[in-house]
Amino acid sequence: MPTGPYAEIPRVDAYEKVRGRAIYGTDNNPSGVAYGAFVTATIGRGRITAMDLSEAQSIDGVRLIVNHEHTSDLQPARFIMQHGFAFQSYSPVLTPNVAYRGQPVALVVADTLESAIEAASRIRVSYEEHPFAATLDSERAEPVPQAEAATAWPIDDIVVGDAETVYADAAVKVDATYTMPTQHQNPMELIGTVAAWDGDHLTVYEGTQNAGACKFGLAEQLGIPPENVTVISPYTGGGFGQKNTMQSQQVLTAFAARELGRPVKVVVPRRQTFHDSSFRPATRQRVRLAADSAGRFTAALYDVDAQTSMHDFFQSEHADTAARHYGYGAFRSFTRLVRTDTPTPGYMRAPFEHATAFAIESAVDELAYEHGMDPVQIRLLNDTDTDIVDGLPHSSRHVSECLRRGAELFGWDRRTPEPRSMVAQNGDLIGMGVAIGLYAGSGGPNRASVRATRDGIIEISLGVHEMGQGIRTAIANVVARHLNVAPESVTAILGDTRGVPQMLTAGSWGSASSIPAAEAVCEALREALDALGTNAPEGASPAEILALADHDELSVEAATFAPGQNRDALGEIDTGHVAPSGPVYPDFITYSYAAHFVEVRVEQTTRRIRVPRVVSVFDCGRVLSPRTARSQAIGGVVWGVGGALREAGEVDPRYGGVLNADMAEYLVPVNADIGSIEVGFIDEPDPMVNRSGVKGLGEVVLVGVAPAITNAIYHATGVRARHLPVRIEDLV
Amino acid sequence: MSDDRKRTIEKRPWSITRRAVLASGSAVGALAAFGLKTPAMAQETTPAAPAAFLPRVLVSFAVNGVTQDIDLDPRTSLLDALRETIGLTGTKKGCDHGQCGACTVHVDGRRVASCLTLAAQVADREITTIEGLGDDEALHPMQQAFIDHDALQCGYCTPGQIMAAVACVHEGHAGSEAEIREYMSGNICRCGAYPGIVAAIRNAAQVMEG
Ligand code: FES
Ligand code: FES
Repeated sequence: MPTGPYAEIPRVDAYEKVRGRAIYGTDNNPSGVAYGAFVTATIGRGRITAMDLSEAQSIDGVRLIVNHEHTSDLQPARFIMQHGFAFQSYSPVLTPNVAYRGQPVALVVADTLESAIEAASRIRVSYEEHPFAATLDSERAEPVPQAEAATAWPIDDIVVGDAETVYADAAVKVDATYTMPTQHQNPMELIGTVAAWDGDHLTVYEGTQNAGACKFGLAEQLGIPPENVTVISPYTGGGFGQKNTMQSQQVLTAFAARELGRPVKVVVPRRQTFHDSSFRPATRQRVRLAADSAGRFTAALYDVDAQTSMHDFFQSEHADTAARHYGYGAFRSFTRLVRTDTPTPGYMRAPFEHATAFAIESAVDELAYEHGMDPVQIRLLNDTDTDIVDGLPHSSRHVSECLRRGAELFGWDRRTPEPRSMVAQNGDLIGMGVAIGLYAGSGGPNRASVRATRDGIIEISLGVHEMGQGIRTAIANVVARHLNVAPESVTAILGDTRGVPQMLTAGSWGSASSIPAAEAVCEALREALDALGTNAPEGASPAEILALADHDELSVEAATFAPGQNRDALGEIDTGHVAPSGPVYPDFITYSYAAHFVEVRVEQTTRRIRVPRVVSVFDCGRVLSPRTARSQAIGGVVWGVGGALREAGEVDPRYGGVLNADMAEYLVPVNADIGSIEVGFIDEPDPMVNRSGVKGLGEVVLVGVAPAITNAIYHATGVRARHLPVRIEDLV
Repeated sequence: MSDDRKRTIEKRPWSITRRAVLASGSAVGALAAFGLKTPAMAQETTPAAPAAFLPRVLVSFAVNGVTQDIDLDPRTSLLDALRETIGLTGTKKGCDHGQCGACTVHVDGRRVASCLTLAAQVADREITTIEGLGDDEALHPMQQAFIDHDALQCGYCTPGQIMAAVACVHEGHAGSEAEIREYMSGNICRCGAYPGIVAAIRNAAQVMEG
């Protein structure tokens, strides 16, 4: 079997998608389906004292109104990070409580969506209002040292050496605080559920990154056996972490469908997705970085305040990544979780790393200027072979190679270092910036089954979800190589609990957990085919061998684990839980890496910032599908542009909720915001992390784009942006 | 399920009532403006309330060459009529507010946001959706170009992008990359497939314009 770089093949589901034939969750219309609409809370926190349903009930077509008086038999959701299945432990509509503005307080179900929406608007709710903390800076916000937070998997502060003393004595240092607002994932596919009962069996159609958690979580909340729940999610219209666990509307939709005895569809309106789902927490990060006279980082002190909710500790992993950016001589972190009256924040694409890179890579740039060193050189100088935290070797770390290759592709040598020293012919200030990014190289257990037929069908079932990252294409490419068949003959059954158990697809571990399983099951199939004893020629396809053996079909199964895991991890995914492993493995540590080079243009008069050109090089181990990897990388850079220059949830601390809760006011990049994006890959398989040599890509692609942009803005204008997003007014 | 709890939830189909009025007066205006056959439009109004009417309307329009005679709540958007009534789910809902472009279809050849268009407004018009663009024998050049340039990831915005892209070429707005970017900026792609989309349109425009 060849082991070199993979061939580029077209995205295998592109045909379905360009014809409008890919069926997403709420595209399903079971016969007799009724439609749901939510009533949402208009206070920042408190309790419902009365709900007048009379007007709503008089609306034609209204069939059911569900509020807290009807849901006492439903179990509350459990938070995924407390070994549960949901994005938070708080379940709206199950009690008269209001934990945050915009949470659902009732669900109206009607024959038509129009009637449901109208009826929802006519429900009058009375509240008892309680004081609340809407933001990180609110007076009532409650900071809790993370090391003291009661959690299922505690995270301690990191202490390596005596960073305080080294910092105090250092010759060159930077002390700066970087802040970031809340951000919202906003996949284009809205959150939504179609729930249909057949007797006591529930089928749920839903765009999700975690069909397994939906299955087991729904069973738990509804009080039914998990085998009575099927979750079908072959395509997810973007997840970005928003859809990585159960959402609030799922149990309510299933409950309403059971009560009515007919299927129910709930599509959560965009405005409500801002108010009742996870989001990137606001952060405040203080970095103190010291260097010796040669520019070596002798100490880093890293203090993080990260937002969480009152009901859950959404743990911060900022420091874990910060400690691995460079080979600092000493490192000390201190993280606090700041409790606010909001939904529990969550894992928006590169949930911590995007913020961490903004802080660390900005501080490095500031230090480079302080020191009079080239920003690329200071990064190369501080690269490391060994992890300073655990003392383990890196299984692969090609970040210097990313920097060198990126610098060359970008033409870094044309840059003059002085701020405001490069001016375009039209008078625009030109800035060039660089930053690196890293993301944990996780893995996990996965089951796989494959069925090969004499007609040439190869049907593989894996525990992973297709949400645009191109996993279906990667699987087809890998299976095609391993079985010597055409990629088109491979059908992958994903995101479907009727196949093998479906583990959460997130944390950039989708490929690293499912592709080794795909390889293993192909190998098992090969062995089973050999055992047929056909003397088929070398390289014969399964169909040819089955024909020689006069067999119609053959099915085999396999399971794989990450290093240091054993079969116990399968028990977790078999029951809808997560069981990721890494980046710290018993004998090594694994991260993916990025180097981003950005050119900005700042108009002198308007101070408008444009990003005409980005060059990014990635080390994600073996690239499984060059075409879709390239698209994923470009998309990540687009996210970085949004994160640096556009995206912010605007919260009025007096009222809570999100003011700009729609696609016109929560600005994400549009086509005209994006210029040339050139991406490259090292494409060196990681020799240790898994048999496929693959590390994650989906998140590292965005990590470091924002500081590369702000560093370029500094180079262009001399203005150091320490708050994202950077807007015109910041440069005036 | 306990019998007790069952009783707390009323399941009767609420009787039809004159109080089922439009949430928005503008929809009434739209119905009148488009000269609809509105058997439902009630004559009597009370001074304090907006015009009340029986909440159904008969609308006829063509979708991908097939005439659809449908009986609708007059507040139904073209998007919901396509997806929920007619069963053409290729057209997507991304915002329902005219802000994202996922719902883009052609009405008499022009691109519109179907979420901001009442189904009743398109009576007697020709609608083209993504399902009507190519056929099993041959893809539309824009669909092929989207595949060739991998101008998509999750695919959710893709039907809207392709419908907008075809219109962008027909409008004569695909002359340069900058022009394409500008005229395609009403269609958000959260996956960030913009560079591929621009390349696909450049390429398809050449094929379409022969
Ligand atoms: S759904 Fe119509 S523009 Fe977004
Ligand atoms: S392809 Fe996912 S939103 Fe465009």
